[in-house]
Amino acid sequence: MAEFKPYTYFQCPCSDNSVSVREVGGANPAGQEETDEDERTFDPRAPRANYSLYPLEHLLYCEDCHQIRCPRCVLDEIVCWYCPNCLFEVPSSSVKSEGNRCTRSCFQCPICTAPLSVSSTEPPPEGLGAEYATVSGTYVLNCSYCLWSSKEIGIELDKPNSVYAQLAKIKNGGEPLLLPKERRKALEERREAGEDGSHIPGSKEEQELDAESHFYNLKSFYQEQLSDSSPAGALGLTGDYGYGSPGALSRIMGLYTSGALGDRKSKNKSGTMREAHDALEGLQITPLSASDAIARLCTSGWEGTASLSQRREQPHNPRFVSDLRPVANLLRTKRSKRCKTCRHILSKPESKVQKTHFRIRLVALNYIPNIAIRALQAPSAPSGLLAPLKPTQFLLTFSNPLFDSVRVNIATPAHTPGRFGSKVTILCPQFEVGANTDVWDEALGESGGKAGSEREKRRTKAEASEGQGQAEAGKIWERGRNWVSVVVEVVPASLRLDGPEFLKSEEQRRDAGPLREDEDVLEIPVFVRLEWEADVAGEEGGGLATGNKEKEVREKRELAYWCVLGVGRIAQD
Amino acid sequence: MSSLKRASTAPPAPKPPVHFAPALVIADNAALTGTNLISIGLHTIIHPRAKLNSTYGPITIGSNCIISERSQIGFQNPPSNSHSEGVFIENGVVIETGAIVEARKVGEGSVVEVNARIGKGAILGKHCKVGALCEVQAGEIIGDFTVLYADGMRRVDRAGIEDLKLKMVGRQTEILRKLIPSNPTKFQ
Ligand SMILES: [Zn+2]
Ligand SMILES: [Zn+2]
Ligand SMILES: [Zn+2]
Ligand SMILES: [Zn+2]
Repeated sequence: MAEFKPYTYFQCPCSDNSVSVREVGGANPAGQEETDEDERTFDPRAPRANYSLYPLEHLLYCEDCHQIRCPRCVLDEIVCWYCPNCLFEVPSSSVKSEGNRCTRSCFQCPICTAPLSVSSTEPPPEGLGAEYATVSGTYVLNCSYCLWSSKEIGIELDKPNSVYAQLAKIKNGGEPLLLPKERRKALEERREAGEDGSHIPGSKEEQELDAESHFYNLKSFYQEQLSDSSPAGALGLTGDYGYGSPGALSRIMGLYTSGALGDRKSKNKSGTMREAHDALEGLQITPLSASDAIARLCTSGWEGTASLSQRREQPHNPRFVSDLRPVANLLRTKRSKRCKTCRHILSKPESKVQKTHFRIRLVALNYIPNIAIRALQAPSAPSGLLAPLKPTQFLLTFSNPLFDSVRVNIATPAHTPGRFGSKVTILCPQFEVGANTDVWDEALGESGGKAGSEREKRRTKAEASEGQGQAEAGKIWERGRNWVSVVVEVVPASLRLDGPEFLKSEEQRRDAGPLREDEDVLEIPVFVRLEWEADVAGEEGGGLATGNKEKEVREKRELAYWCVLGVGRIAQD
Repeated sequence: MSSLKRASTAPPAPKPPVHFAPALVIADNAALTGTNLISIGLHTIIHPRAKLNSTYGPITIGSNCIISERSQIGFQNPPSNSHSEGVFIENGVVIETGAIVEARKVGEGSVVEVNARIGKGAILGKHCKVGALCEVQAGEIIGDFTVLYADGMRRVDRAGIEDLKLKMVGRQTEILRKLIPSNPTKFQ
């Protein structure tokens, strides 16, 4: 079993589902709501909890709402599209018209997804004047990782650039492929040549359509059918109003006019629609027997069969490796994020593709204290599991990123929720964490301002009395410049379900099923409440408490949220 | 510093018997240990800090091979069956950095990439490629043109450019010959 790594997840307040439920009910007075909220314990095992818990690194912070923002309560806005391979920025108009793939020469290996490179099939020229010799011959796409080459599917290119356009014209095996537009032209020519439908549906060329032409043919056929079947002027609209709409409109109108009569009338008016009946109209007959595929499977064997993940990458869902095609690189986006509530920007990347830094980035790491967990004693069992019913102490270290000192209140339920309730005691639930002042600021402040040095003195005094490193109730364990460690004592529950009845908890009596996945993980819900006095003027400077020359306006701030501490797995005895 | 100290305190280990073809390049601080014969073919390059261990069986390396630094050739611990055929590497094979090769045979033109591992008694066919960190189990037989990649994935390469690749390896050895000072007399 992998070693358990302690973790801290933060709950974003946006997913406070109990509140939203109450809002639906609507009748509760505000006072009762408050008491409810105080009593309610967050259950990290609740199915919905999965969707609201995040590591601190994933969270943002809105400076205007003074609230944590998770991926669910921010709005994404696309700044730009770009190809991750050639870093070319693709304008949004061409994303709409050409799709979300790189249309230059960036391709992924269909076998292993590594990037493909273009290389000449001719050996590089040797000898005198080699650098002046023009490289002739054809080109292939090569994967340098799994050694796949487009030669294997019979595709060779004439030139090393604009591979996308070239590939669009070649079938696997090297035969030319008609573009949908050209196909359309061919279709029209055919129509003009023989209106009586003299083409043979069984001919091979007609039967096999690639996905794109298939769609194109079907679309153009039904578009035509729709404009033919709904006569122009039935409702004063012509067929070019948009396919589908005249028919739909007349049906809706039929509902309002005198029912049956109107219906019959419109039915008589509209001609009957027929279905596609050959490949030119987009009909593709699925072979009823798989004998062809089975025969191919017999000859090509396991090696020639495409894996599930390989098939998933391809738009036409091929069965065999020889049907795979190089996959054009998917474009990526740069996004800016806005607060859903106040619409302020929380994160904004530099719009240039090549630049990786951010113009605005309000990450929660800079606003709320991080909580690190560490076992106080080395685990007794070599497996690192927690011994059931044996008191174990953990050290929670709160580190303050703010430039103001923060009063922290933490609370936990006496027993962790769930079938196996472990006893939890926080030895020091109230403490103050020092400001995240610069180390240099402190040194300079000491010589300049007396207040600073005095505060420093007081703190060292406090440290001397407090930081003894004793697990004592009401006392913190250790204190640093901007961090405080407190001890939490846990008595892990026994995971046995066959004990005497009177020892069982209510949940265990109700549900005596076997141990479920991760039920042995000891997770402690912790309610954290922060209070601090912020420098209002300094707030505008991106959270930086810049020294204000005017009289400082201090504002009292408060932030409360649930956290989940995953401290370890309980041993099964 | 530490290597100097070690050299002064420990008595020099006996050199394994070697058979060097002419025009090979073996770096001064390659490590050849063991008691069985180590023979190395024409134009082969042994990088500095490559380790060849013939304690549990002879090692034969063909011509035009490249044995990179920190790669380990030869059995690293005693084989399970008492007699062992040793390690035989054919011509034009490239063993990259940190690879461990205990194979009975590595076929012509194969490439064993960074930190890959070929178990005891395995037989690698011609023109195979064992991708970085890939593993071939002991006793396995890998057919010609097999490519091992990713997490245990395999495929057969039908590109048909093996001659070109052998040529490229040949050219690589030519360049390396100029870059790596050779000292075969140290090992003879
Ligand atoms: Zn949220
Ligand atoms: Zn690209
Ligand atoms: Zn590949
Ligand atoms: Zn906001």
